[in-house]
Amino acid sequence: MHQKKKRYKMWLTIIGLTIALIWLSPFYLMIVNAFKTKFDIFNNVLALPEAFTLDNFKQAYIDLDFLNALTNSLIVSVSSILIIIIFSSMAAYALSRNKSRLSGGIFLIFVAAMLIPFQSVMIPLISIFGKVNMLNTSGLIFMYLGFGSSLSIFLYHGAVKGIPVSLDEAAMIDGASRWTIFWKIIFPMLKPITMTVMILNVIWIWNDYLLPSLVLSQAYATIPLRMFFFFGQYTKQWHLALAGLTLAIIPVILIYFFAQKHIIKGVADGAVK
Amino acid sequence: MTNKNISFWLFILPALFALSVVVFYPFLYGFYYTFTDWNGLTATTFLGFENYIKVFQDESFTDAIWFTIKFAIVSIILVNIIGLGLAVLVTQKMKINNGLRTIFFMPNLIGGLILGFIWQFIFKSGFDAVGRLLDLEFLQGWLATTETGFWGLVILNVWQYAGYIMIIYISYLQSVPEELLEAAEIDGASVFQRFWRIKFPLVAPAFTVSLFLTLSNAFKLYDQNLALTNGGPYGSTEMLAMEIYQTAFSRYEMAFAQSKAVIFFILVAAVAVTQVYWNKKREVDM
Amino acid sequence: MKGNWKLLLVGLVAFMLVLTACASDTVDEGNGGNETGTGSGSDSGDDSTDKVNVDIFQFKVEFKDQFEELVQLYMNENEDVNLSVQTVGGGNDYAASLKAQMASGNEPVIFNIGGPTELDEYREYLTDLSDTEAASLALDGTLNGVEEDGAVYGLPFAQEGYGLIYNKEIFDAVGIDASTLTTFDALEAAFKQIDEQKDELGLEAVVALPASELWVMGNHLANNYIAPEFNNDILTAFEAESISFEYADQMKRMLDLQNEYSVQPVLSLDYSMQVEQLFSTGKVAVIQQGNWIYPTVEQMDEDFAKNGIGMMAMPFEGDYEGHLPVGVPQYWVVNQNASDEEIQAAKAFLDWMYTSDTGKDFVLDEFKFIPAYDGYDASRIADPLSQDVYSYSVDGKTIGWTFMATPVGWNEDVLATEFQKYLAGDTTFDEALEVAKESWASSRQ
Repeated sequence: MHQKKKRYKMWLTIIGLTIALIWLSPFYLMIVNAFKTKFDIFNNVLALPEAFTLDNFKQAYIDLDFLNALTNSLIVSVSSILIIIIFSSMAAYALSRNKSRLSGGIFLIFVAAMLIPFQSVMIPLISIFGKVNMLNTSGLIFMYLGFGSSLSIFLYHGAVKGIPVSLDEAAMIDGASRWTIFWKIIFPMLKPITMTVMILNVIWIWNDYLLPSLVLSQAYATIPLRMFFFFGQYTKQWHLALAGLTLAIIPVILIYFFAQKHIIKGVADGAVK
Repeated sequence: MTNKNISFWLFILPALFALSVVVFYPFLYGFYYTFTDWNGLTATTFLGFENYIKVFQDESFTDAIWFTIKFAIVSIILVNIIGLGLAVLVTQKMKINNGLRTIFFMPNLIGGLILGFIWQFIFKSGFDAVGRLLDLEFLQGWLATTETGFWGLVILNVWQYAGYIMIIYISYLQSVPEELLEAAEIDGASVFQRFWRIKFPLVAPAFTVSLFLTLSNAFKLYDQNLALTNGGPYGSTEMLAMEIYQTAFSRYEMAFAQSKAVIFFILVAAVAVTQVYWNKKREVDM
Repeated sequence: MKGNWKLLLVGLVAFMLVLTACASDTVDEGNGGNETGTGSGSDSGDDSTDKVNVDIFQFKVEFKDQFEELVQLYMNENEDVNLSVQTVGGGNDYAASLKAQMASGNEPVIFNIGGPTELDEYREYLTDLSDTEAASLALDGTLNGVEEDGAVYGLPFAQEGYGLIYNKEIFDAVGIDASTLTTFDALEAAFKQIDEQKDELGLEAVVALPASELWVMGNHLANNYIAPEFNNDILTAFEAESISFEYADQMKRMLDLQNEYSVQPVLSLDYSMQVEQLFSTGKVAVIQQGNWIYPTVEQMDEDFAKNGIGMMAMPFEGDYEGHLPVGVPQYWVVNQNASDEEIQAAKAFLDWMYTSDTGKDFVLDEFKFIPAYDGYDASRIADPLSQDVYSYSVDGKTIGWTFMATPVGWNEDVLATEFQKYLAGDTTFDEALEVAKESWASSRQ
């Protein structure tokens, strides 16, 4: 019995490792070829590079204007997420504590907005924001608040419901204002769901391509927008492109490495609720 | 908090304002203009339903609908089977569980555009190289035909989302009581019996969640489509989202594109509402 | 109540922040694109007030670095001008990006158009450039298509030509004289001869037809058999209400011939595979391309580029036998919505680029252009392909680039797309042309 179980485990491990290798093979090909010369890539895609060259990375770093793109991406993501967290949690708190029909109706509107896919509002949105000269970074951050608030409010709403109203009432008696109650008492208790909201929004906003491509000019381009640099109309420079793609992935992998438990949990919570 | 309380309004105002300006106002605004010859800036004549009639006569749009539906069906099946398989695998008691979970989930964190470019290289150069090495002809010339473009998109999508769906299945699988499984094992139930008889029924609600997620993902897919095939060859792998984008920003037929976008909304919303309705009904039945 | 005041205060501060952010955005907009550009950095905001800012939105990725170097030189000489270059040749096409740029209100001062079709589209943006020195020096015919009632709306980038580029060594080894391949029969015989010896020659196939590149088939290949129908004239094509494909048989033969002898599957081949992976490494003997591939081949194999390649015309049976399609790929235009100051600065820069000594040196030695202007030393034309093009040009054996004057998107989105379907076996050649004819007629109504 014991022997059989051990063998079964071994097979399972082998299967697991094999699938993992298949899963990682695209990354292997990307990284390996990013160190090759153009000529080497044409000659042998699968092999390790004959001579490791860092030239591709240097060139890609310059061409992508990587530091700038990274800064742009950070500005957009961090500001968007901050305002999404602040305003969604506030709104969810108010909507959850107000038991009236109107409040319920407004909550429903927020939830219903999730049904509207981005492509259905994309064209008028760009036209409207273009007219008021808001096709820039600030406009983009505001748009993310609009698109991100639905799911975030939905998640916060559920969490606030779980916090007893008696806490609010006790503080109220002590003379605290709503503002103080929320930030001093309620918001700290929402920390787990704030993590979830943050993670879900980071993954989406950091990687978003379509919306920023319509809103941002070249100088403010985020990392995904820059990726097109190597895919010219006439030339596809794979050696540089692969180095550029690798560069673009590094920050994400680093963060994943340090916070994978939180990330996986956040994603699971967000999906299941 | 009551409706008369000013803090209630101040608390919800920023989010409500953003949502209205970014989602609802453009949606209604765009909807109005689908009945005109709007070009993005001005509209001169009222056309009634002409744009909508044209939408259904537009072959590239109907082709895109069918392609998207086909893609959605195949993707949903594969993503869920593989996602569930991976979930079952990594919930076995193995030393490498956490490592595997980390690896399978990783593609999710990277943007569709970047993944699309990586896979373009894999399909065009990687597959080709393996094909030559093993003398397998079907691995050569990927993305050059409609079929390989289709399967290329499916493979990319499965690879990207299976890890995500896996996470959802895991959280349900872990809710299966340990004692139940041990009791079954003592009673002599095999691995498969334990899975089918005990785990499967308890995991069933996860299907609803996963189906909805994969379906809406498949319908809204754009970045991957753009980076992997860009619709080629000859526009035959253009999915709905991309078709709408092309109509709007390459051909500048804004009112027409917006009409397509409205139809797109109806499709996506119908799917979602059905899902919610079905879900609720089943919960009541149980 | 106290809390509400704080809330309001926070709201106001947030609002102010948003406003300042917007404001700084608009100010910075003037330098937009610097990052991709001249390397003068994004910190030039402080001194940009007393400088004339000229945004250049250009499409030629291939000469981006050299162009930016020239721009930097110009700015060193003219400190009151700040030029910033944005290059968009990316996978998303230039035309769409330009439209987006215009729609966003962030209009560049200098940008590119292709010919009469785009001239029509952008008419309201274009400044008359006939008072520039460059316009007066432009070679005969190079302004054909951007000239209207004495006004000149664009300045040509350069001249370019395309045809069949061949590997001289392989032709010598097989014993083929390129100059005799002016008919289909001769070309086919040559292909066959090479094909029979391809193993000894180390070839994968005779030709590489990059059918995934719409422009190679829809613009270039087709034009060789469309231009004669319009008497070789861009404006005739631009005004034509219909197209009859008079030389359809020859067009089909050229496509079939390349397809038959190409590395397969043709629909998976792109430009980079065709030029770099296959031709530059000696794995195919002939490709249909233009002189612009020279720097790319040079990068792969310098010696081969310098001594091993030549260009010949595609076969055509009729009046234009042995003619090479030569044209102006793009024109520089100046946005008339810009301020007078900006327009003058833009004109001065363009003039300097094509008429000053420094500019000329760059055009010939760095850009490796075939000049479209008078006053250049032709013997300094950089590479053998350009020399071939230039000699066809001097002999007057050229035909025009009518794809600059076809209905918007027709060559690529209609004709080439239909060709792809034909090559994939989803349609017949006749049906493909039928679709293209209808599309032409309906857009010229």
